[in-house]
Amino acid sequence: MEMNDIIEELKASIIEALNLEEMTPADIDASAPLFGDDGLGLDSIDALEIIVLLEKNYGIRLANAGEGKKIFTSVENIARYVCENRTK
Amino acid sequence: MHQWLIRMLKHVDVRILYAFTAIFIIPVCLAVNPSRGIAYRYFRKRHGYGRIKSAWLTYSNHCGFAQVVIDRFAMYAGKRFEVEVEGYDTFQALAESPDGFIQMSAHIGNYEIAGYTLRAEKKRFNALVFAGEKESVMENRRKMFSSTNVSMIAIRSDMGHLFEINEALAKGETVSMPADRLLGSDKCVELQFLGATAKFPYGPFAIATMRGLKAIAVNVVKTGLRRYKIIVTALPYDSSAPRREQIASLSRSYVSELQRVVSLYPTQWYNYFEFWK
Repeated sequence: MEMNDIIEELKASIIEALNLEEMTPADIDASAPLFGDDGLGLDSIDALEIIVLLEKNYGIRLANAGEGKKIFTSVENIARYVCENRTK
Repeated sequence: MHQWLIRMLKHVDVRILYAFTAIFIIPVCLAVNPSRGIAYRYFRKRHGYGRIKSAWLTYSNHCGFAQVVIDRFAMYAGKRFEVEVEGYDTFQALAESPDGFIQMSAHIGNYEIAGYTLRAEKKRFNALVFAGEKESVMENRRKMFSSTNVSMIAIRSDMGHLFEINEALAKGETVSMPADRLLGSDKCVELQFLGATAKFPYGPFAIATMRGLKAIAVNVVKTGLRRYKIIVTALPYDSSAPRREQIASLSRSYVSELQRVVSLYPTQWYNYFEFWK
């Protein structure tokens, strides 16, 4: 699967998991920050949703907060990590 | 202060401290603390009691809060309480299942007693706690629980607690968290509670439904001088329903149970902030 396909798949999964029904994948800038006021404005519970989503959809189990902090900077970054580490 | 209190409680009967706080401490607290108005309005508006009864119950509620704090330190000092468990079978069935489950608590009565009594032999029990607790309180908890399978997960700004929660649930352990206060996240669900709309944290309901886990409410109320009652209630929801409906259904189950227990023990409600703002 191409990086761009994973980005689109991730956007759709994030919208579904976080109940962002008012958004479409096109509304999410793949390079924008996920947390804080500048990007999607997600918070800690949303982060946990993404942790579980990565585990369920791609077999990726993040071990610690340090690792999460590096990956959860943008959808693009998560997609890159998924490409390199997915087990399913 | 805390260590000094624990040392004293090794030798002094809790009744002496109950009486001391009721006569000397609580009247001063009521005179200077905004909790007086908050508790009074809770009795007047949420339970519909008259002025005099609400004023008396406000005093009684503060004395009760002082007593459960004293009891908590008495436990750290090695004193034990009689504990009756209602709904133990519900807890035991989950404790013996291979899956993790969520235990939802509230700021009523003395929840910490449950940590000493409701233990699953085969599962680790993880309690989500506020990282701002006094170090002496955390240290005493660590000492009390050092020989048990109970561990604390402190809410941290680096989101490390989320990884610990996820790991614990993935391993089939129990995670306990308060479901009546917004902690670490502002996301909430608004529900009718005691006749008016109140905000409850979204997190506990979202976490349980992420993996379709079973959830129970555990409320611990003081029923006598040295007696507590743990009330365990299953919180049903349809884990095959769309996610949004699962969260709505589980949060309704929780709030309905909380309302039932608070209606039975109205003076043991210890949320001293404008809950129904």
